[in-house]
Formats: sequence, C-alpha cells, structure tokens
Amino acid sequence: MRPGLISFVAALAMALPGTGLAAAVGDIVLDSRSVSMGKAGVGPVVYPHALHEKLYKCAACHPKIFKEKAGATEMSMKLNMDGKLCGSPNCHNSEKAFPLYNCVKCHTKAGAK
Amino acid sequence: MNASSFRKLKVALLCSLVAVIGYTFAGTVADAAQTKRQQPPASGKETPQQQIDPNDPSSVIYLDSAGKPAGIGDPNKPASEASRRHGWHPQALSAAGLPKDRYGLVDWAKLVRQNIISPKHSLDPGEEEAPPLKMDVVIPAKGDFVDDVIYPHEMHTYWLKSDVCHPQIFVPARGANEMTMVGIVKGDWCGRCHGKVAFPLTDCTKCHSAPKNKASKK
Repeated sequence: MRPGLISFVAALAMALPGTGLAAAVGDIVLDSRSVSMGKAGVGPVVYPHALHEKLYKCAACHPKIFKEKAGATEMSMKLNMDGKLCGSPNCHNSEKAFPLYNCVKCHTKAGAK
Repeated sequence: MNASSFRKLKVALLCSLVAVIGYTFAGTVADAAQTKRQQPPASGKETPQQQIDPNDPSSVIYLDSAGKPAGIGDPNKPASEASRRHGWHPQALSAAGLPKDRYGLVDWAKLVRQNIISPKHSLDPGEEEAPPLKMDVVIPAKGDFVDDVIYPHEMHTYWLKSDVCHPQIFVPARGANEMTMVGIVKGDWCGRCHGKVAFPLTDCTKCHSAPKNKASKK
C-alpha cells in the first residue's frame, strides 16, 4: 500500500511540474513570440524561476497569474503593459520590481537583428 | 538682550543658513546659537542626527533668492514668502494635488490642457510664439503584439521649438527613424528627454495607445 502511494505521489509530481512537490525549476526560455521579438530587435526571454521561487510563494503567481503548465499561458508584451502577467500591479508594474521598459533585463540578445 | 549678543545671534543665523541641510526649520535659532559657540565639532555631530527625507516635503527647507529660509515644502502649512513671490517649489508642487497619472507622476500635459499653468513661451520677451503644430504621427510598433504609438506634435511643440528635435534627433520624414525600445531606454530618440526631463517610460500605454489592426495580429 505504502510504496504504491509514494509512487502515485511521485507520478503526480512528474505530471505536474511547477507544483510544490517538484521544486527546482530552472530558467524557463520564453520564445513563443520569437518572430515578433526579432522584429522588435530583442531575443527570447530567459525567465529565472529559481530567483522568483526564493522571493515569493508559488501561490503568488500560480495558478491565478500563470498556469502551471509550460506554454499554457498566452503571453505578450501587450498583456504585460496592460497590467497582466509579468506586468501585474504588484510585480513589474510597481516599485517592487524593475519596470517593464527595462527590456534587456528579460530579453536576451538585445540589438541583434 | 544686549547689542553684542544680538549681533552674535545674527551671525549665527547666517551660519545656519549656509549649513541649512543640518537643521529643521523650527529649531533654527536655538541650534544656530549653539553651533556658533562650538563651531566645527558641533556641525559634524549634528548633521547625521537630523536626516532629510527627500520624499517628505515637510522635511525640506527652501531658501528664497536672497538665501533666507522661505518655508518648508509642506502644502498643508500656510504659503511661505517664497510661494507668494516665486511660485511653488517643484517638490511642494507635486504634493499639492496636481493631476497625476496612474503611477502617481505629475501629468504635465493635463496641467496645460486644464489651464492650471500657463508658462511663458520664451525668456526673451521679443521672441514671437509659434503656435503648436497639430499633427499626430502614428509610429508602428515593431513587435506584433504591442500597440502602435501615437506621437502628438501638439503637446511637444507647446513646450519646445521644432529645431530641438529636428533634424538631429529625428529625421523629419515618416519612417526614416529606426527607433527601437532598447535604444530609447538607453537614451536615444524619445529617451533623450523622456526619463530625464520629461515623464519617464514607466507607463508603456501612455505612448503605445493605438491598437494594431486585428488582421496583422497572427
């Protein structure tokens, strides 16, 4: 009974990456808008999940602002600017974090064409 | 109070004006008299005790053009000599209920539109004022998901002459300027003024305000 339960929990943790059980999520590369980013002269975003884990509890972002599943949340700078996602009023649209116009803090390869 | 001590007090008052950073407005006379008696060590000791919080207008003392204390930047206190003669100090101004944007920054364009201020167009009284140029320019955002920019010539030419920007910063031809947000943040193009003397880049939607056609969103 007990080994079965443990393997069930392990399977659940593997199935739902990003939950409390499966901590240690490294950097996440966000490049679904890479064509548009290329036009704007910036590269993909490398999101430091570990850094945010240290600063905030999982529930601060999941699942209200970001869905746990990788790639499930539609993201764009427009949404950030409108106060959603990264640009939520308590996040990168407030004094608590660096502002959205600081492009190169998130976008790599700035200036590359 | 005899004449010599009164003279001493006067000298002390002058000293306190020079080192005005270290004193609160209320304690000027008493502090100044003390400092006069034990000059260099006292000023060294007292400065760190009374710290000025630049965000608290009531902790800042303003001097008039003659170097005399003109009041503190607290809008709740009665208007000082300085505000009667020279207008409000910017710090007191920002705390005095002026129109602000959603980030709490003073909205200078709104101030102009609501006729709250009417600045002189030039320091040179002989110079003729050119009327503002009523021309909005739509600057397409490079990214597909960001709203386009509407650039209002009107508000800019209200403050500035056209040769402030043209042709050194912006080539005066549509589409001739390869602007990027990265460059603007670094201080090129709009960033020559915005973030320095004009409102900062904090509110993206202040400029990126014209939604792109849905057809172009893929």
